[in-house]
Amino acid sequence: MTTFRQYREAMAAGTEPALELPKLPSDAIAFQGERAGFVSRAVAASIDVGLIVLVVFGTMAVLWLLSFVFDPSTAAGITGGEGRVPPAIWFVLYGYVLNVLYWTVFWATSGRTIGNLIMGLRVVNFRGDRPRWIGALLRALFCTIFPIGLLWAIVSGANRSVQDVVLRTSVIYDWVIGIPGLSRKAGSPRPPGPASGRSE
Amino acid sequence: MREVVLVTRPASSQPSAPDPLGTLREVFSSSVGMAAYTATTLASLVEQTVSYAVTSAVNSALDRLVPTIADAIIDRIDLTDVVIQQVDLNRIVTSALDSLDLTQLVLDRVDVDAIVAAADIDAVIDRVPIIPLADYVIDEIDLPQIIRDSTSGIAGDAMNTIRRQGVGADRLVARLVDRATFRKGRKLDAPGEPESMSTPPRPEEPESMSTPPRPEEASP
Repeated sequence: MTTFRQYREAMAAGTEPALELPKLPSDAIAFQGERAGFVSRAVAASIDVGLIVLVVFGTMAVLWLLSFVFDPSTAAGITGGEGRVPPAIWFVLYGYVLNVLYWTVFWATSGRTIGNLIMGLRVVNFRGDRPRWIGALLRALFCTIFPIGLLWAIVSGANRSVQDVVLRTSVIYDWVIGIPGLSRKAGSPRPPGPASGRSE
Repeated sequence: MREVVLVTRPASSQPSAPDPLGTLREVFSSSVGMAAYTATTLASLVEQTVSYAVTSAVNSALDRLVPTIADAIIDRIDLTDVVIQQVDLNRIVTSALDSLDLTQLVLDRVDVDAIVAAADIDAVIDRVPIIPLADYVIDEIDLPQIIRDSTSGIAGDAMNTIRRQGVGADRLVARLVDRATFRKGRKLDAPGEPESMSTPPRPEEPESMSTPPRPEEASP
């Protein structure tokens, strides 16, 4: 087991730290890097949307509770629906915005949302790299507004959704999370600056 | 044994006149023949008897003498030394061993179970350093690492199971749709290298598995 100290020392010495990464199951090696199919992607998206819904409901509950701090009167009704929280349409919009932000940030920084992580998926651009911020934002917007586009992955000959076709992105099976800076060849000089993504 | 042939002449068929001289001569010659026959037979008998007697005497004498002499000779010679010096024992033993299947022989003729049952296993175990051996084994197998691996492996296994089921469902859906639309498979190659394959190369992995550093992404 490699400790953080050993990792830092190895990096400082300019050598490859001998990390014990999670091992890829041997039967899963064959399809790593292939475009993922509809079911995995739908499950991943459902997990993400479920998380967003949870956050929205959590926000709603917090706002409702906070409303009693600022308006302790019970005139608005015990059940507290009327006027204590903003109208539902705002929460729907809030959910959409949150979803776009969530997908943008996660796709641009790691290529994986939490749903992607659980299902072992990763979003890459047409070069095979992590999407850039603008690309991630466009994709997040597109996917949030037009989620039905994912259905195209069922009939597409290359498992591509409408968003993938338009934005030239791919969602691939990629079960193990690589550690930035470890894909370099052993002994090669380290690029200046903190070790960051593979291409940025 | 010597054979004696007695030759007699036939008597003349015609009775002749008595001839005293002839008669006398005949009697004489017959007597001589009889005497010769008797002498020869006697000689033969005597010779046989003497031969038998001598042979038994010599045999009995040898029976008595030879063991004594042999004993005396053997007493004076170290036979073991002689064999060791004069005989190529290696060849004899090797050829004997070559012609025997010793293992089968032992299996057929020896009750191994009885030997094992009779053996004092406890004494053998007492001579084995159990504790140092156990320490060595524990040191070698790195038990704490195994425990860490197995506990962290349970979570990883659960996730891998979910992922595997996802992949299986993906393929099932794709196969059904492809069959319905008469398509032959899908083209699933994506650009780039998955991170799963760009982890530090393991010893058995070829060098090409690691991703080469990419050039900076040119802005369009």
